[in-house]
Amino acid sequence: MNDEKIISRIKEQFQDKTAEVTNPAPRRIFVKVDRPDLLAVTRFLRDTFNFVHVSTISGVDKGEVFEILYHLANESCSLTVRITTPRNEPKVPSICEVIPGAVLYERELQDMFGLVIENIPDPRPLLLPDDWPKGQYPLRKDWIFERPEEKIPGGG
Amino acid sequence: MDDMSGLTYNVPIGPQHPALKEPISLRMTLEGEIIRDVDVRLGYNHRGIEKLAEQRNWVQNIYLTERICGICSHSHTTCFVQGVEKLMELEPTKRGLYIRTLVAELERIHSHLLWLGVAGHEAGFDTFFMYTWRDREVVMDILETISGNRVHYAMNIFGGARRDIDDQQKARMLDDLQLLKKRTEYYFKIGATEPTFVARLAGVGKLPKQTALSLCAVGPTLRASNIPRDVRKDDPYAAYDELPFEVCTADSCDVLGRVVVRVKELFESYKMCEYMLKNLPPGPINVKYPRRVKEGEVVSRYEAPRGENIHYIKSNGTDKPERLKVRAPTLGNYPATLVMLKGAFIADIPLIFAAIDPCICCAERLVELVDSRTGTERTVTFSELRQKAIQHYKSLDLKKRDSAWPL
Repeated sequence: MNDEKIISRIKEQFQDKTAEVTNPAPRRIFVKVDRPDLLAVTRFLRDTFNFVHVSTISGVDKGEVFEILYHLANESCSLTVRITTPRNEPKVPSICEVIPGAVLYERELQDMFGLVIENIPDPRPLLLPDDWPKGQYPLRKDWIFERPEEKIPGGG
Repeated sequence: MDDMSGLTYNVPIGPQHPALKEPISLRMTLEGEIIRDVDVRLGYNHRGIEKLAEQRNWVQNIYLTERICGICSHSHTTCFVQGVEKLMELEPTKRGLYIRTLVAELERIHSHLLWLGVAGHEAGFDTFFMYTWRDREVVMDILETISGNRVHYAMNIFGGARRDIDDQQKARMLDDLQLLKKRTEYYFKIGATEPTFVARLAGVGKLPKQTALSLCAVGPTLRASNIPRDVRKDDPYAAYDELPFEVCTADSCDVLGRVVVRVKELFESYKMCEYMLKNLPPGPINVKYPRRVKEGEVVSRYEAPRGENIHYIKSNGTDKPERLKVRAPTLGNYPATLVMLKGAFIADIPLIFAAIDPCICCAERLVELVDSRTGTERTVTFSELRQKAIQHYKSLDLKKRDSAWPL
């Protein structure tokens, strides 16, 4: 179907650069690429297969590295481009020059994971409060929410 | 007066503002009454749901995701449940899927009717608001009869649906849908022909096709810019591959187009609901599901009333998810809204902003309360709130009717 066409074309174009392309379900493709190739791959996908829509960008804390997943979509399928970035140097290029609609998701990543998005058009915090302490990134696994002790009236 | 032309004013709208139903902060740079620049600040309703989801087990998370939003609650659970079912390699029952889809469409009907009312209200046409919200009660009653609830239907479980529909309910729903259809035809006539209404909406909040695409707008906002994208059609889930429906678009790229798209979608939803009720497959409504989920990841998409809803779920083989990422449709529509607002009049702000059908609690997922009388911000602990509530209700001296036990 359509999925195979996209996969073979990606493999052909980026034979040495894409580490793996998987197709776990119909209309779902996962592509793993190196960090420096991200822009080239998204641009290629946009121009060749009309992946103009970025649904969202998810970050996952995997200990040593952060994994960032760009969920792109066209009319027929949802394609996820996966990159990793080391924890001690969490830099990621911005894809806003390819897809301008990604800016809010990139700002969210900065807030929640403390990633540095290079060349982001608007680097300000998006979600966290203005008095949020520096260096606290809530969605990192080592960030643990401590609930203030609550006393329930009448409880033992 | 010439030297006044370069003067600009910064006007903050929100986070607490009479024109907005939920907290969001918009900073407008105005020149006269024309908006030159807009900036948006989010986070006033951020509740940390994604972090919380990592500490809850799979079943608890169904009810957590339901509480992301009060209007499209079913959208979030369905999106979550169908993703986890893929990870569990669980095949939901046919009847379960139909009931799930039926509730999804009923939710769309109530959401769109609610929005039509809000659009009427923002345009200064409050009769329209009263009419649509009266008719919305019909669909709310349907939802209440089948789920027992008006807001959080709690109809989803891994493997199907939690409640069945009997013949009596079916007959009642078919009758009510007939009534709604008739009423909606009238709204379509008003929306398309009533001169004052059309004059207020046409040409307001322009979003050209190319801009809508590049800024990743979703849902009726995108479709009103003449781009026929709909997850139900492009990436069918649940029972949508068997249902007769068409993707509704408009080519006017303005608020009027967004009204037209939503009214047309109402008709499509009625058609789908009728089809589903008449062709409800027999059999069990759900199957047993495993407690643990195999290691893996899944991207689940869903067409919520406001547009594409996407959940990314990653499992590490335990009874809790490793990561749950939620992107609700409203967040996807903000960049496009900023473009729509630029160059518009200050009087159009509520109309344009309401036209994306913003759901701020969806788009954000910490709690801070603002005292509405003094304007001071402070964090209120749960125990303080509880104390206050107890005092309040005690002071009311309520008694349950004919009850031996005082409330």
